[in-house]
Order: sequence, then C-alpha cells, then structure tokens
Amino acid sequence: MERRPVAASTDCRPFLARNEFLIRRLHSLTGLIPVGAFMTVHLATNASVLDGPATFQRAVYQIHSLGRLLPVVEWAFIFLPILFHGLLGLVIIRGGMVNTGSYPLIGNIRYVLQRATGVIALVFILCHVFHMHGWFHSELWLERVVEPLGGGRFRPFSAPSTLGAAMQGGLVIPALYAVGLVACVYHLANGLWTMGITWGVWAGPQAQRRANWICGTAGVVLGILALSALYGAMTVDVPRAVEIEDALYEARVTAHKLAPNERKRADAERTGRGGSRVE
Amino acid sequence: MARQRVMVVGGGLAGLSAAMKLAELGIDVDVMSLTPVKRSHSVCAQGGINSCSDQTRQAGDSEWKHFDDTVYGGDFLQHQPPVKEMAYWAPKIINLMDRLGVTFNRTTEGFIDRRRFGGTLYKRTAFAGATTGQQLLYALDEQVRRWEVAGKVRKYEHWDFLGPVLDNHGVCRGCVGQDLVSMEIRAFPADAVLIASGGCGLLYGRSTNSVMCTGSAVSRCFQAGAKYANGEFIQVHPTAVPGADKLRLMSESARGEGGRVWVPRTPQDPRNPRDIPESERYYFLEERYPQYGNLVPRDIATREIFDICINEGLSVEKGRQCVYLDLTHIPRQELDRKLGGILEIYEKFQGVDPRVTPMKIFPAVHYSMGGLWVDYDRTADGGLRSASPTNMVTNLPGLYALGECNYQYHGANRLGANSLLSCIFDGLFAAPGLEVWLSSRATAAAEAPASLFESEVRRQQACQQELIRRPAGGENPYLLHQTLGEVMTKAATVVRRNPQLRDALREVEELAARAKRCALADTGQWTNQNLVFTRALLDMFPLAQTILRGALARDECRGAHYKPEFAMPHLTGETTAQRRAEADAWCTRFDENNRRWLKSTVAVWQPREESVQLSYEDVDTSLIPPRPRLYGLVGAALIEEVWNQRVTAQLARVP
Amino acid sequence: MAENHREGEAAKTFDVRILRQAGPGQASYWERHRVSYEPDMNVISVLQKIAAHPRTADGQDVTPVAWDCNCLEEVCGSCTMVINGRVRQACSALVDRLLEQHPDEIELRPASTFPVVRDLVVDRGRLFQALKKVTAWVAVDGYYDRGEGPPQSQEEQEQLYPLSHCMSCGCCLEACPQYARVELTRGVDESPEEFVQRQAETYDRLFLGPHAISQVILFNSHPTGRHMSSLRLDALIAEGGIQLCGNAQNCVAVCPKDIPLTTSIARAGRAATVHALRKWFDV
Ligand SMILES: Cc1cc2nc3c(=O)[nH]c(=O)nc-3n(C[C@H](O)[C@H](O)[C@H](O)COP(=O)(O)OP(=O)(O)OC[C@H]3O[C@@H](n4cnc5c(N)ncnc54)[C@H](O)[C@@H]3O)c2cc1C
Ligand code: HEM
Ligand code: SF4
Ligand code: SF4
Ligand code: FES
Repeated sequence: MERRPVAASTDCRPFLARNEFLIRRLHSLTGLIPVGAFMTVHLATNASVLDGPATFQRAVYQIHSLGRLLPVVEWAFIFLPILFHGLLGLVIIRGGMVNTGSYPLIGNIRYVLQRATGVIALVFILCHVFHMHGWFHSELWLERVVEPLGGGRFRPFSAPSTLGAAMQGGLVIPALYAVGLVACVYHLANGLWTMGITWGVWAGPQAQRRANWICGTAGVVLGILALSALYGAMTVDVPRAVEIEDALYEARVTAHKLAPNERKRADAERTGRGGSRVE
Repeated sequence: MARQRVMVVGGGLAGLSAAMKLAELGIDVDVMSLTPVKRSHSVCAQGGINSCSDQTRQAGDSEWKHFDDTVYGGDFLQHQPPVKEMAYWAPKIINLMDRLGVTFNRTTEGFIDRRRFGGTLYKRTAFAGATTGQQLLYALDEQVRRWEVAGKVRKYEHWDFLGPVLDNHGVCRGCVGQDLVSMEIRAFPADAVLIASGGCGLLYGRSTNSVMCTGSAVSRCFQAGAKYANGEFIQVHPTAVPGADKLRLMSESARGEGGRVWVPRTPQDPRNPRDIPESERYYFLEERYPQYGNLVPRDIATREIFDICINEGLSVEKGRQCVYLDLTHIPRQELDRKLGGILEIYEKFQGVDPRVTPMKIFPAVHYSMGGLWVDYDRTADGGLRSASPTNMVTNLPGLYALGECNYQYHGANRLGANSLLSCIFDGLFAAPGLEVWLSSRATAAAEAPASLFESEVRRQQACQQELIRRPAGGENPYLLHQTLGEVMTKAATVVRRNPQLRDALREVEELAARAKRCALADTGQWTNQNLVFTRALLDMFPLAQTILRGALARDECRGAHYKPEFAMPHLTGETTAQRRAEADAWCTRFDENNRRWLKSTVAVWQPREESVQLSYEDVDTSLIPPRPRLYGLVGAALIEEVWNQRVTAQLARVP
Repeated sequence: MAENHREGEAAKTFDVRILRQAGPGQASYWERHRVSYEPDMNVISVLQKIAAHPRTADGQDVTPVAWDCNCLEEVCGSCTMVINGRVRQACSALVDRLLEQHPDEIELRPASTFPVVRDLVVDRGRLFQALKKVTAWVAVDGYYDRGEGPPQSQEEQEQLYPLSHCMSCGCCLEACPQYARVELTRGVDESPEEFVQRQAETYDRLFLGPHAISQVILFNSHPTGRHMSSLRLDALIAEGGIQLCGNAQNCVAVCPKDIPLTTSIARAGRAATVHALRKWFDV
C-alpha cells in the first residue's frame, strides 16, 4: 500500500477551489449574458440579409458606428466571455463522464449533447471568427497571417458582398457552418433550460416540463434564424450587393456620417469589388 | 481515572437513542453494528408508535389505559412497573421525536395524526405514512451523526459483536468485536456494554425480520452467562406476504386505517375477490370480535386465521393459511397518504395493486417478546426510579440490554406500535442510570489489566481458526439454517403441541451437533461472509433450544403461546344456568392457572452440558390484577360477568 | 409474473454473470453461475442460492460471492448493485421481470462509483460523509422534554416526507455522470485515524451528490432545522458543492424511493445563489 495522490488537480486548486461556486455561476451566466444574448442578436443581424443587401449593410453600419471602441467592445463583451465560457467548459467536461450506455435517459443524452455541442461550438467559433473577422485588427497580422490562410474575409463596409463571397463557391464551408450553427443553437436552447434549474427558476417536474417547451420553442426559432442567415449568405447576388454597398458608402460619406476611407477605396480598386476594414 | 466509555452494540432505535442520550450526558460512546446504523432493522417498522394524546384523552384515554392495554395485550406476563413507566413516558417520546424532525402525518389543523392499532379502542398510534420506523430511525441516526461530528460518538459499522469481556467478579468490562471487512478481531474496553441488537427472527429461517436479526449478539451474552427470559413467546404476525427470501409484512396499520380481513364463504372460491358479493364473504374477525373487530391483538388474529384456514378449510389457497386483506373500499388518495409505503411493497413484490384488488396475506414470524433478562428499580408508586443503574441491567453487572432484545415490556404478546416505543424508551431511560453506574466505578475499563482483554481476543481467534481449519466437504451452514427454520416454524409458532416440541428439540440438538461439522466454503481473511454467517448459525442453537424448552415446559395458553391441549374451554351449556356454572369453573381454572403459570421463564445456559436450564420467576402484577383476556369474544360475555362479580365480591371482603 | 415465464418447463435454469473482485486493488473478473429457477425469486434469493452452493456453471468450486443486504424490502438501502447494466436494489429486482428483459441471463456488477470492498460489496462511506458536510440534522437543544415540536401543516408534512425517505442507497450517485469514483488506500505511514481523516477531507472536496443536496432542502424546510440554513448553504457553495451538478437528471430517474431530487437541486440552486449573493453584499 502506498500513499497515492488524491485527484490530479488538487495541488493547483486553492483559488479555483475556493471560488468554485462563483466561477461556475459565472460560467452559467456568461452562457446567457453576454454570449447567448450576443449570439441571438448576431444571428438576427445576419438573417437580415434575407431582406436584401441594403438592410444587412445598414445593420452592419449600425454596429460599426462604435468606431474606435469596437475592438474593446468586441473583446470585453464577446470574445473574452466566449473564451472564458468555452475554456472553462472544457475543464467542466473533464470533470464529468459519459454513461449514456447504461443510462440512455433523455436527460442524460441532453447532458452529453450539451457537452458535445459545446466542444463543436468552441471549434466552430474559433474558426468562424478567424474565417470572417481575423480576431485582431492589426494590419500586419491580417495581411501576413490571416488572409493568406483564407481568413478575415469579411469587410464591414462591404458586408453583404464579402459575406456572400465567403459562403459561396462550394458546399463544404456552408455545411460546416450549418453544423456549427445547429450545435450553437442546441447548446444555447438546452443551456437555457439547464440554467433555469441551476438558478432555480423552474424547480418542480411540471415547471421543468413547461420550461422545456419554452426553451425548445426558442431553440427552434433560433435555429430557423441561424439557417436563414446561412441561406441568405449563400444566395447573396454579389455584384448587385457591391453596387448597393458602394451607393450606401458614398451616401454616408457625402452626408458626413463617415470619413472617406482609404482602405475601402483601395480594396475596391484592387479587387474591383468593395471591401475595407474600419480603423 | 482514564476516561470512561460506553459500548453500544446495535444501532437500531434502542441503540441510537441510548447513544445520543449518553452523548448528551457527556459520556463517550462507541456504537458497534453489523450494518451501517442507518440500515438497521428498525427501518422496516411500518405502522407507528403508541402514546396517548390530548385527543385520545378526551375520549377517555390516559397513560394508565395505555399501560392497561399493554399488560392485557401481553396476558399479564410482564412486570408492571417498567410498562407503566414506558406508558407514562410515551407522550414525551412522541414530542421529542417530533422535535427531532420526524415527519409524522398531520391532521388538517396541523396536529400529529393518529390511527388505531390492535388491542386498543383508542386512536393512539402516531405514524409517518407506512414507514414510521424508518423515519424514527433516521431522526436518531441524524442525531448520532451530529454527536459523531462533535467527537462524542465513534461508530464501528460492519463490526460483529463476539461477546462480552467479564472480569473475575463477573463484571462486564468491555467486549470483543470483529471487523467484517478486514476480519480483525479486537477488544473494546468499556465501562458498560449495552446490547441493543434487536430480534432473532432468523431462527425461523424466513420471517418478517431483516437478515441481520440472527440473535447472535444476544446468544453470545447468553452463552457468557446472561439470563434469557420468556423465550417461548414468539409473535406470529397475521398479515404478511411470502417471498423466496423473506416474508414481507403488511402492517397492522392497514387494518388500523379500515382494512378488513375476510375469506369467501365457499372454500377456495375461484372468482376474482372483487366479484365476490358481500353476502358471500366471511368477515370472521368482525363477526367473532364485534368490539375490536379486525384490530384484535395479533396472537388472537393469527389464531383465528389458523382456525379459519386449517380447521374450517376456508383458506383462499388450499393447503396454506391465506386470507384476504381488503383496502379497496378506502379512497385511493387517503391510502397513498397513510399507507403508501406498504402498498408499494405489495405492488412491487406481488405485481398487484392492492388499491384495486384485495391482498392475499399469510401469517409470519415477526417478533420475540422474550429476550435477555433485565432488572429494574421499582419506586413505591409502581414506576421506575430514574437514574438508577439497576434499570435494564442483565444479571451481569455492567451488561445492559435494550430494545427488542430484552424481555421487559410485552409479556406474552406485544401490541402493535409498542415496540418502537419500548426501544426508544429504553435508550432514553437507561442513559442517566448508566451515568450513575459509571460514576460508581473505581477504575475505568481502559485501566483494567490488558491480559483480561488479550485472553478473550485470543479465545475468539482460536474459535475462528478452528472454524476455518475444518476439513472441506462438511455440513453446509446455509442448508442447516434452512432446516432449522423449518423445524422451528413447524413446532413453535401459532399452535404448539408437546410431541412436536419434543421432536423439534431433538432435531435441533442434532442440527447443533451437525453444525459443529460445518465446513466453510471461504477460508479467507477478507470480508468473509461465510464465516460470519456460520458463526451466527452456531449461536442460533442455544436460543432455539431456549424457545423450544420454554414452550415445551409451559403447559398452558398465554398470549402467543398456545397449546390446544391446555386451552380454556368455550361455554357450551344449553341453559344460562349451565353456562353460568361453566363460566364459574372457567374463572376458577383461570385463577389456578395463573397461580401456576403467571411466571417468567428464565433460562440459563449450561456451557458444559450445552443445554438450557429453566426456572420461573414471579411477575409483579401489583398494579393491575390479571383478568380473563377475551376481547369481547362473542359467547364469552358471561365469563366476564362472572369474573367481575368475583372481583367485586373479593373487594367487598377486603375491609 | 411467474405464470407467464415459460410455464411447464421442467427444472428450468438461468445463468447469473457476476463481476467479482477479491479485494481492493485486485483485478476483477467475470464468473458465471447456473441457478435453478423458482417462482418469486429476486436477486437476493439468487445470491443466497449461490452462497449455499458456490460452484460455477462449469462446475468449479469457488468462494461464495459477497454482497450486502438487510431489510429485503427496499427500505434499508444496503443492496445497491448494477443489475443488467442498471443500478438498483437487488432485493426488489424480481427474477421473473429480469428474465423477461434478458432471457436466460442476469448480470450483476458492483456499483462503479464506490470502491469495491469485495465482489458486490462497496464502500459507501463518502455518501455518509456528505451528510456530515451538510449538517443533515435538526439541532435541538437536547433530549429533555420540551413539549411538542413546532406545528406543521399537512402540506408541509407532505413536502418533507418524501425527502426524508432517502435510504442512502447511493443509486443516484452511481448513475450521476458528475459523481466520479475515488479510491483511496491507506498509506504505510498512516494510522487508521489519519486515513479516515484524509478520506473525509478528500470526500469533502468532491461532489457531495444529489442525495445530500436534497437533505439540505429537507432540513432547511423544517421549522427548527431551518435555523441552521446558512450553515448548510455554506456547504452547498463550498468546493464540491451544488455547482458541480450538470443537470443530467439521472439521479431522479434511478432513485428507488422516487425522491424529487431535481426539484431539490433547483430549489437548492436558487437558495445557494441567494445565499452567496447575500454573503458577498450583505455581510
Ligand atoms: C416488518 C416489521 C414491522 C414492524 N413494525 C412495527 C411498528 O409499526 N411499530 C412497532 O412498534 N414495532 C414494529 N416492529 C418491531 C420493531 O421494528 C422492532 O422491534 C424494533 O425496531 C427493534 O429495534 P432495536 O433497536 O431493538 O433493534 P434493531 O433495529 O433490530 O437493530 C439491531 C441492531 O443491532 C445490530 N446487531 C445485531 N447483531 C449484532 C452483532 N452480533 N454485532 C453487532 N451488531 C449487531 C444490528 O446491526 C442493528 O444495528 C416491526 C418489525 C418488523 C419486522
Ligand atoms: C455559442 C456560444 C455558447 C453559448 C451561447 C453558450 C451558452 C450556454 C448556456 C446558456 C449554458 C447553460 C448554463 C447552465 O446550465 O448553468 C451553457 C452551459 C455549458 N456550456 Fe456553453 N455556450 C456557448 C459556448 C460554449 C462553448 C464554446 C463551450 C465549451 C466547449 C461550452 C460549454 C458549456 C458547458 C460544458 C456547459 C454546461 C455547464 C454546466 O453544466 O455547469 N459552451 N452554455
Ligand atoms: S442532475 Fe445533477 S446530481 Fe443528478 S445525476 Fe445529473 S448531474 Fe448528477
Ligand atoms: S436519493 Fe434516492 S437514490 Fe439517492 S441515496 Fe437517497 S434513496 Fe438512494
Ligand atoms: S436489502 Fe434493504 S434495500 Fe435491499
């Protein structure tokens, strides 16, 4: 008989251990606010592309009116919370096990799916942000690293056309997006339901059943929204979208709502299409 | 002096109530139990716990009536002071258990609800659904855990008590136990040892008892010199459901809530019981005992079922003793609220919903009224002196017996819902006496010479080695146990006959001899259940012999002990005058019989002869004089009348 | 029931496959026993038969299988094991039903989240330790007579009664995907007391389990028990507390006593959050 260390992670624990409850509650909370809330808004914005490129472009202008603050907002309210939630999620997943083989119960399957979709979501979000956004606004990074790797495809001043371009030309990317989106939506909807238990919003079995309907409905609506956005992106008429973007751009510049932007023009000249990043 | 400690053997209601009370008094306690204490047999108790209450009082009840019902129910075989004390404590015990968080059922207004139980006309029984024992045990388990956290109680769960350690003055200075996991045998010096090890239903093979109810701890004390009293009084419960491994009880509370016992008037009527019309049903208990109805005491109900099934051939199933217990007339919601626990058991094990179909039930061995002989300290007014170390002590100083394993409260027949009470009472009441006992000791057991304990440990180790070293291919302990159960069930249950008892005694002695040649299938030193079982089996024989010898010697009928040969006659005369004369003779015979037999049987183990020696001890019936126990049987009213006239006449003669 | 299980066949038998292990740290192995069928059997009576004749299906004499049981009517919580892949009480596992699901064979394994002592016997000390951690008792002043307990409505009693049925069987813990197994062994340089202490400390850091969470709700709802609410909630928000529940709801599905565990978990979750906020902002 030898002295065996208890659990592998005990040593580095004190801080995490002492604040386990707080951290887990923050994890739960960040799932909804801001991550879940952002995701909902994000999907709604993107789905607006179905209404025509102009609507979508206007919505993007709305967001980008934050100007210099945007990176701060992006990181503080979106990227960091997602990373916090996602990475902590990985730690949480390690603390549980899969026993659906013995207990193929609906709640248990959902528990496993919540974890599986979390992992899919994490991979998807990392790739998606890279693919569209590039994570950092540094020119050097974008030009030398991101763009050569096929990322950073989105240009806020040419929103519909760059989105459309990124999603067209093959079914692989849209299919991956579909998987990622469905995973995210399931994860949010089911997470909403478990969150209601975690925080004690719905307690009894009947209440939980009712909540299940509500969360399920929310999930279906979100799912429709997500897939519509994807469909919208895949069916954007790119050349027409460029025309509309350009017109909107010029109008904004003339109305002094927007400073003339070097990159937008340069991009337009270089590619013959629109496209620019805001500084 | 080194710190004194008390060892409590058994963590049922009796053991745990003692442990928590001792801890409260500042005494260090060890609790040893075969199972984690929360899993003790007391969890099985279903129906409830008795005390008079403010409500029954207004219907004419009182502590005295509870006392009276208990001794009447026990056919006057108990010493009355302990029973009286218990009855007077009962309301306080319910209050305490209520404060400890027991989830007793409530009335609409929020009072503790009560139901009626056998052998009384009052609704005296407090209950928590049909799992009262479980709820009471959990409350005590929680309190003991609290003391464990506080460092006053140490638990030794999965330990087997192997015997007391006596010094050369015969004083108990501790005990020896064995860890059932590592099989380590060690001594526990203790300034008092409390045996609270429950019943011995396993002597009968299958019974309503749990598998740990082997009586082993009691038998080991008995073999070490403790006296055992009233062994022959074994309660057979009228309503249980047979299974391959256990006879599962359907509590008396089913009848307390209005359940009715009946058989079809046509023998083995093949119809679905639901389709048998009222007029073709024989509610024999209600007809024979209009006053108590289905709630006559258990010995009587069981005998009536025996009579209906065996003598009248009306059993629901041929060749067995099976009658219907019918709850189907009671609203489902009420059943679930008050009897949920037992209905679930029936449903689970029988696959039939008793809310819809009458239950088929059978008698089953249930409870031992007999147990270790214990003393008490009587006050002038017939109660017990509190804080007296004499209460509940066996004939071996320092060795106490509490709960089902002592013989104190239930005489020749226990009333339902009185056992939980007696267990908790024992624990609470014994503790202050123990405090006095400890303070009277000059030295702590921890300071006793180590050799005292070592030699006992060595003796036990040697016994174990002897068992383990036996050559393979010997007798099979499990099969011997099965046979023992069959022998005991045939000879010493509802109806007893001397020739059968004699045969049984011989068979048990043979079995005991064969058991000496038992071989173990497992000779290992790790969680060896084979060894533990075999040792328990060996210790069953002295108790089995005690029961049979006691039953054979007692040529009368009293409570659960019934010999048709010595039964009191029915009145058969044609005319009233004839019947009156018969009643008069009946009463005379009753008196004579009491003079001869109203005595406790006290057994002592003769280690050399490996046999039991019986003697008889007078019973203190000074508070309530014995009277015929008829429960308003139809046709016996005249006996009661004559008896009452005699009593009045006697009183008139006393100036 | 017995009637419809292939009636009329003479001397029917069925096999029992048991995952055995001689002691902690030893390798486990499967063993097959053949048992003759009788009506009204349950898994305990099967094990009793095997104990009486410890011989495998292929005729080898073996040591009897070790298992735990006591009440044989599903109230004591002793006989928890994994039967045909699902955790439950052996005493209420009726052979007829089991054979209906899986003809001819019954599979028995010890609960996997607890250390095996031997064969089907496991050490469930951790489960009881959790009860200590959450102060699962009513702290009365003492056991002297103090009159009646606090009044309680029928409704309150009906809330508490189901919760107080928990028989500490551990089925919920076996099924819970968040309740990971730990097995400690006593070190050579460690006294039994030290070992017990280390065990308790370790257990206290790990998930306390749904049964204990439910006990918190039980005692925090009791009129007197409630006086220690904050102590119990402290335990719930400490390391190994309620935050580790992942809402898989297996616990409630397997609990043989139908204890509304997930309702308790939700209520406890709410109370714990409020308690934590109060601790941070109020005191
Ligand atoms: C099915 C059933 C229903 C009942 N219903 C009622 C009822 O409704 N009302 C009522 O008043 N009574 C009822 N009774 C009777 C009552 O339950 C028991 O008499 C009572 O619980 C006995 O309690 P106890 O504390 O004496 O012992 P138990 O609860 O039997 O506990 C015995 C303890 O001793 C330990 N032990 C035994 N042997 C050893 C050993 N060798 N070494 C170490 N430890 C040992 C055991 O582990 C256990 O902890 C019922 C009984 C049965 C069988
Ligand atoms: C699309 C972005 C995401 C959203 C909207 C989101 C949302 C949520 C929500 C609302 C919950 C419920 C919290 C609770 O039950 O208390 C949750 C739980 C969880 N999430 Fe996410 N999440 C996202 C991404 C991720 C990622 C990337 C991971 C990691 C791989 C992850 C892992 C988890 C895990 C493991 C849980 C369960 C936590 C628990 O049971 O305590 N999530 N998520
Ligand atoms: S609900 Fe929580 S406690 Fe219950 S099984 Fe799931 S994770 Fe375990
Ligand atoms: S909650 Fe249910 S499953 Fe869990 S220990 Fe208690 S009774 Fe067993
Ligand atoms: S033996 Fe008690 S629950 Fe199975």
